[in-house]
Amino acid sequence: MGTEVSAQLDAAPPVKARLAPLAAVLRRRALQAVGVVLLVSTACFAIVQSLPGDIAFRIAAGRYGYDAVTASSAAAVRADLGLDQPAWQQLFGWWADVARLDLGKSLVTNADVGDELGLSLAASLQLAAAALLLACAFGTAAGAFAARHPGGLVDRATDAGVTLARAFPPFLLGLALILVFSVHLGVLPAAGHGDGGSIILPALTLAIGLAALFARVSRDTIAGILASDYVGFARTKGLSARLVYLRHVLRNAGVTLIAYLGVQALILIEGVVVIESLFGWPGLGHALVHAVFWRDLPMIQASALALALLVVAINTAADLAGLAADPRPRNRKAFQ
Amino acid sequence: MTSLSAIPTATGPATAHPSPAPGRRWRTWHSTRSLGQRLALALLALLAAFALAGPLVWPDHAVQDLSRFLETPSLAEPLGRDHLGRSVIARLAHATQLSLLLALLCVATALTAGAVAGIAAAWRGGWLDVALRGLSEALIAIPALLIVLIFSALADGALWTLYLGLALAQWVEYFRLVHARSALVLAGPAVEAAGLLGLGTVHIVRRHLWPELRPLLATMAAFGIGSSVLALSTLGFVGVGLKPPTPELGLMITEAFPFYSEAPWMSLAPVLVLAATLAGLLGLRSKETP
Amino acid sequence: MNLHVKDLTVTHRGRTLVDVPELELQPRRPVTIVGESGSGKSLLAHTIMGTLPPELTARGSLLIDGQVLDIADMANRRRLWGRTLALLPQEPVLALDPTMRVGGQVAEGFPGFPARRREARSAAGTLLKALGLGASAQAYPHTLSGGMAQRAAFAAATIGQASVLIADEPSKGLDVGARDELAALLGRHVEVGGILLTITHDLELARQLGGEVLVMRDATVVEHGPAGQVLAEPSHSYTQRLIAAEPSHWTYPWMDRTAPAAEAPRLVSGRGLAKSFGGRTLFSDLSVAVRAGERLAISGPSGCGKTTLGNILLRLTAPDVGQVSHAAELGVGRLQKLYQDPALAFPPRATLGDGFRDLLRRHRLDPARLDELLPALRLQPELLGRLPGQVSGGELQRLAVIRAMLLEPALLFADEPTSRLDLITQEETICALMEQVDRQDCALVLVTHDESLAHAVAGRRLQLGQDTSTSRLAKTPA
Repeated sequence: MGTEVSAQLDAAPPVKARLAPLAAVLRRRALQAVGVVLLVSTACFAIVQSLPGDIAFRIAAGRYGYDAVTASSAAAVRADLGLDQPAWQQLFGWWADVARLDLGKSLVTNADVGDELGLSLAASLQLAAAALLLACAFGTAAGAFAARHPGGLVDRATDAGVTLARAFPPFLLGLALILVFSVHLGVLPAAGHGDGGSIILPALTLAIGLAALFARVSRDTIAGILASDYVGFARTKGLSARLVYLRHVLRNAGVTLIAYLGVQALILIEGVVVIESLFGWPGLGHALVHAVFWRDLPMIQASALALALLVVAINTAADLAGLAADPRPRNRKAFQ
Repeated sequence: MTSLSAIPTATGPATAHPSPAPGRRWRTWHSTRSLGQRLALALLALLAAFALAGPLVWPDHAVQDLSRFLETPSLAEPLGRDHLGRSVIARLAHATQLSLLLALLCVATALTAGAVAGIAAAWRGGWLDVALRGLSEALIAIPALLIVLIFSALADGALWTLYLGLALAQWVEYFRLVHARSALVLAGPAVEAAGLLGLGTVHIVRRHLWPELRPLLATMAAFGIGSSVLALSTLGFVGVGLKPPTPELGLMITEAFPFYSEAPWMSLAPVLVLAATLAGLLGLRSKETP
Repeated sequence: MNLHVKDLTVTHRGRTLVDVPELELQPRRPVTIVGESGSGKSLLAHTIMGTLPPELTARGSLLIDGQVLDIADMANRRRLWGRTLALLPQEPVLALDPTMRVGGQVAEGFPGFPARRREARSAAGTLLKALGLGASAQAYPHTLSGGMAQRAAFAAATIGQASVLIADEPSKGLDVGARDELAALLGRHVEVGGILLTITHDLELARQLGGEVLVMRDATVVEHGPAGQVLAEPSHSYTQRLIAAEPSHWTYPWMDRTAPAAEAPRLVSGRGLAKSFGGRTLFSDLSVAVRAGERLAISGPSGCGKTTLGNILLRLTAPDVGQVSHAAELGVGRLQKLYQDPALAFPPRATLGDGFRDLLRRHRLDPARLDELLPALRLQPELLGRLPGQVSGGELQRLAVIRAMLLEPALLFADEPTSRLDLITQEETICALMEQVDRQDCALVLVTHDESLAHAVAGRRLQLGQDTSTSRLAKTPA
């Protein structure tokens, strides 16, 4: 066995080489963020352009009430939005404003959009974190339990539960929970924000759907790992079942589940929008739906941007965690 | 335990069995479905029949008769009348038809656009590939519901904005899947061999790409129809989708909810249609597809 | 200590997969079981180890270390794992946890591991160093070559000091150099008084291990005896057939063939070729020409770039430096290729018949040619109704030969066409290929890691990767 040359390969790679994948992830996600901002802001601009001629009038109506609209208030709105310039000029001006983080003032409340955004973001993050935590804990536990005996009773019961949870759209699930816990039992508040129990129902609603997905993915992942060659080899080395689980199954399952967390971000954010509207939770989704209802364009743009960038941020975090947990070169993506 | 190759159940040459003649494809397709899949198919067929025939049987969904406020179900009105005295079953039939048709249209548009763009980008490469992939990278980070919401702000929840928004939000998923799979197939030895054998484009699309993509697209389309129906009703439910008095499942749920204790059937009927659609589409998936 | 197996049978739904009345394993006397895939040899090893899948039924008794164990109860061997019974897995690249450093994976096999963590670590370090992997303790498995991964797996399997070592197809995926190292490793286990049972289809590994050889076929042992005797002068007809199938024992009419005249036209000429992969130079300033009717073999250890060179000569891959020119007669379809895994060379969801019909129609070929070639290569026409995955590897590779030869190519590039096939199937396939090549007087470029195959087939040889330091590193896990 005279291949000592090969041993050099194993020496720790230089710092630069180790940072390369990190830089690649950050570059890719930064580009994605720029793309997201361009798409969302251009779409919002297109809305302004495509709205019928009396847009200023309608916005003014939204702002001052239908009874109080006058020609002068409509003119004020028109000047506010710069609706008298050529379109391409307006678009560049629009982008420049976004780039300066100048998101404008709400057409409804006339408050600075940035300030309102901060509060909404905090509320949304609170809800998302609570739901994610619940979903992770219960979903992965159910999945791990089901994976112990693929095709067994627990596995089939979990599968049925998962399908049931997914057949009920989030808003129906929320309605059902409100009916049971608020209307019939009267133990939990149905809507609002602030008092102790108000987060329980929205977080639970959001978590149930996510937990179902987590259960399915962790079941498949763990069942696959338990059947893998390396787990089989670890067993025949003489390791106890507990040690095999602790040393080999958990970490490998973690690598896959972290990658999946990024995919989940989309579903999580969609859920946040729906659940906040249903429960009146004053987060970004609630703000967005309200803004759409009132055609409050600066607010639509700001909340949509914040939600989409949240997806990018969660994905970036998942990528970085995956990079730390998985030593293999990331030449292909686990999920798309 | 990589290969205990002697096990007869393992896939491989040992299990080689003749494939069925093409003419019998339907029967084998049918017999390989599990009980759950057949139930799901039956459920979906029932819904489709209701969506197609229902509006013909109960055409008057808009006629109001306030004297029949919250009328209880009867033989003539299987689901009673709502708070404006309108026939609930007529509204439900029209709403189901609208949801399913719109969902089918969205998925057909998104699937065609995504598949064509995906194959073209994977095949041609170059700037087309770079541009489309860049666009899809950005689009994939924007939740579909968000895109539809922004679009619905365009024209006060008109039907065409919802269609456009849903199709735009969904094509990117088909694009990414088709692109990834096509690139893999096109770079594989089978296509290389086909090139050396001088077999043309038609052969590669027909024998290599399409058979590989078809099952994936079918699974995705089933999910896509489900999520379109869901998105439409969610928007209606939160009040930024189609506007009343259009019969729409989400709107019907919102409108019926205040009368839940007096007339629970009014809320439960659209809920059941929605859940049945989603359960039917979910039940179609076979065990192997993720 | 001895290991004695009595009346071992394995069945699946009434079909007998293994039937071995008696097997005796002693220290210092390695036992090697050879046979083709499907003979039941791997199942025998897993039955003894107690790692048989639950859908199979095993019966018999096992006398080990003075106690009698019921073979049917797989669980009773579990407490012997690592301490008395150890398994060296096939495909070590897959048997190592991709997310854990090699040192940790070896150390955890040490007796009393979690409690005696420090001792385990130092024992693992010592063992790895003894195996020439001292620097790899902190490495992750994906950075190891196939041979290095095999040594790491050997360390992990044997650190528990088990006296019985069962090696299941340990040379799978290893090239000649790595296989020789492996034979030496297994030999060391025997020298220190261990019991060794090796399962392999590789007759050369069996020769190197020595000791006793058992030949299995259709669930039973057809012949056994000292390795030298069985492998040199076999008495059973099946063993004779097996040994005759080794390329070094072949004698066929297509073999004695004078090299083409030097004035035969050049079909392919590559000049000043260089290619590197992942920052490593595979070859540089290489010039190769293939003349009409010539048979050239490119050989070398795994990862030396031989397949890459073939693809460059076919202009499927671009070289970093240099040029490849093709003669005018290499038009569409006149240049064909056979692949290592024929299952990947056919569209997986189209029937073979559909593919052949497309080919015949496209080039307006006479369908009778296909009807003629099928029986000539001993293939049933019914195979055409199947999908590629429903046909055995040997049959599929012969179908690939037909597909390539239908177009009467001037040059055929065969990339490891038989490396996944059993010996007898390999012989069948190569014969079918060479008869067609001989008849059509087509030039052949064969890429193989098997020197004896290269010798048997080719008139001219090109060896790549003589420098082991470059060739060994290249092994990338599949």
